[in-house]
Amino acid sequence: MRGWISKLTTNQRLAALALALGAIAIAATVGPQRTATVNAKELLTRVERGDDHVTPAELAVWIINGRADYRLVDIRGAQAFAAYHIPTAENVPLSQVADGGLARSDKIVLYGDGGIHAAQAWMVLVGMGYPRVYTLLEGLDAWKEDVLFPVAPANPGPAEQARFERAAQVAKFFGGQPRAAITAGPAPAQPVPAPPLVAPAPPAALAPGLPASSGAATPPKKKREGC
Amino acid sequence: MEPFAHDLMDGPPEVARAPRPYANPYLAGIGIGIVLLAAFVLVGRGLGASGAFNSTIAWLVSWVAPGYAHDNGFLAGYLGGDTHPLKSWLVFEVAGVFVGALGSGLLAHRVVRTVERGPRISIAGRLALAFLGGMIMAFGAALARGCTSGQALTGGALLNLGSWVFMLSVFVGGYAAAWFLRRQWR
Amino acid sequence: MIAPLEKLGWFGDETSLVIAFLIGIGFGFFLERAGFGSAKKLVAQFYLRDLAVFKVMFSAIVTAMLGVTYLAWAGYLDLSLVYLVPTFWIAQLAGGLLLGVGFVVGGYCPGTSIASAATGRIDGVVFVLGFAAGTLGFAVASPLLQGVLGAGELGPTTLPDALGVPYGAVVFAVVVVAVAGFAGASWIERRMAARDAGVR
Repeated sequence: MRGWISKLTTNQRLAALALALGAIAIAATVGPQRTATVNAKELLTRVERGDDHVTPAELAVWIINGRADYRLVDIRGAQAFAAYHIPTAENVPLSQVADGGLARSDKIVLYGDGGIHAAQAWMVLVGMGYPRVYTLLEGLDAWKEDVLFPVAPANPGPAEQARFERAAQVAKFFGGQPRAAITAGPAPAQPVPAPPLVAPAPPAALAPGLPASSGAATPPKKKREGC
Repeated sequence: MEPFAHDLMDGPPEVARAPRPYANPYLAGIGIGIVLLAAFVLVGRGLGASGAFNSTIAWLVSWVAPGYAHDNGFLAGYLGGDTHPLKSWLVFEVAGVFVGALGSGLLAHRVVRTVERGPRISIAGRLALAFLGGMIMAFGAALARGCTSGQALTGGALLNLGSWVFMLSVFVGGYAAAWFLRRQWR
Repeated sequence: MIAPLEKLGWFGDETSLVIAFLIGIGFGFFLERAGFGSAKKLVAQFYLRDLAVFKVMFSAIVTAMLGVTYLAWAGYLDLSLVYLVPTFWIAQLAGGLLLGVGFVVGGYCPGTSIASAATGRIDGVVFVLGFAAGTLGFAVASPLLQGVLGAGELGPTTLPDALGVPYGAVVFAVVVVAVAGFAGASWIERRMAARDAGVR
């Protein structure tokens, strides 16, 4: 059996090798994968380190600064997305997150109403080899609390007051409304409901220091990948 | 005696060394295939050549007539943005092609100042056709979004539909033209 | 999935340009090894005397194709991140025909013309200049050519997609066609050589 291989010329051996590899390749599947593989220790360490999320305050600054190097993904259903979504977000319902619309080369920030669904999507994407996925810490709940409707601090010092002024500006940018201080005392039996959400109006006059949103046409991107 | 009509063996013996024979085409092809695969794995794109010409021409035109360059849709695609048009992947790659070919040529004693032509055509005629052929090919490559390196090799390996259509057309076009150009080569 | 490395964040733009240069060196090296710095060697393909162009091109395609398939199958390469030039099949068919004509008229293709210029061929240098002039001409004429340029737009499409056939099956078919082509090429070369010898 070995004898016939040694009788072939180099070219014929290469041809035989190519045909063999080609035949085996018939069984190949090269499409998007369906499974996620979790490296438990690594994943949990990332969470513990805080390397798995961004805070609403950070995200607000990114949006105001017009950063375009990431994708903000709203994993709720289409109706919830239409009722309100964080500006610049795109809608990819949870069940479709792993379908291939999100590229592994993208930096992705996921959010849902709270933190749980986004965290589940995060775990799946990390398990599929996405290197740069983050959740918005506690999702829209925290977005409302911290960004849209920040609460004025009770008895603020000058630094705290300055911080609140800035937070109030950010809130207005997103169409929100700062709230008055809540006096200390026993926590109310019912949590005070946040005011109803309104989709933010396009930012008109902005306070100095907040750059205008990118309304100008972006210059044509240079062809990067053609041949 | 025409100045450039050197045979590969011409020249004083201590300067001209016998050129080595060409490599086994299959092995050379496998070599190119590995280089192409490395490009896919490292940077997620394939080889190319015509794009480097496009970038260079776009840059030259933007130097001489910047307004026109940015108005022209084709050229503007290679300008704009934040980086210099010559700081493009393909420009660097083509620079490498030059160096690599020179290196191989030196190793094989195949670097020689000459004009490649058949026995029945003059040097002037050959050079005129070289220029004309280059122009024709530039139009072809621009229409096809690439040339043999970018479309045939890269797209071929990725089973790109348009690239395979292109590849077949290249062979058809070449064989069709061969008879008409036989005076240049045979 | 760890590849393509650059797109998954392993290195940035500057390194990418260095890699471009190194890859170009490899490409140019093997082009010249095969003799593709010589117009006579290249054009012999179209006179059926020396089918090295076909042999080199298809061995390269088969090698890279098998590599991509196996790496993607094994989960190392994310094929969706490897750039696929969109298909404009009519424009590409027309472009290909022109390119084939230009190949026989000029004696080179853009990549081989660089290899040729590097190894001293004056006609290679002149071809490069002609290609540059043609590129400029195309740019100037491009507003009039928008119709042709966009003809047959199908977006990025692979043969398996278009034919509705599994990827692996197409891969095998390409290998078979290539190997059969190599055998055929050798046969053609021998026949033509005999014919040339008989004539003289």
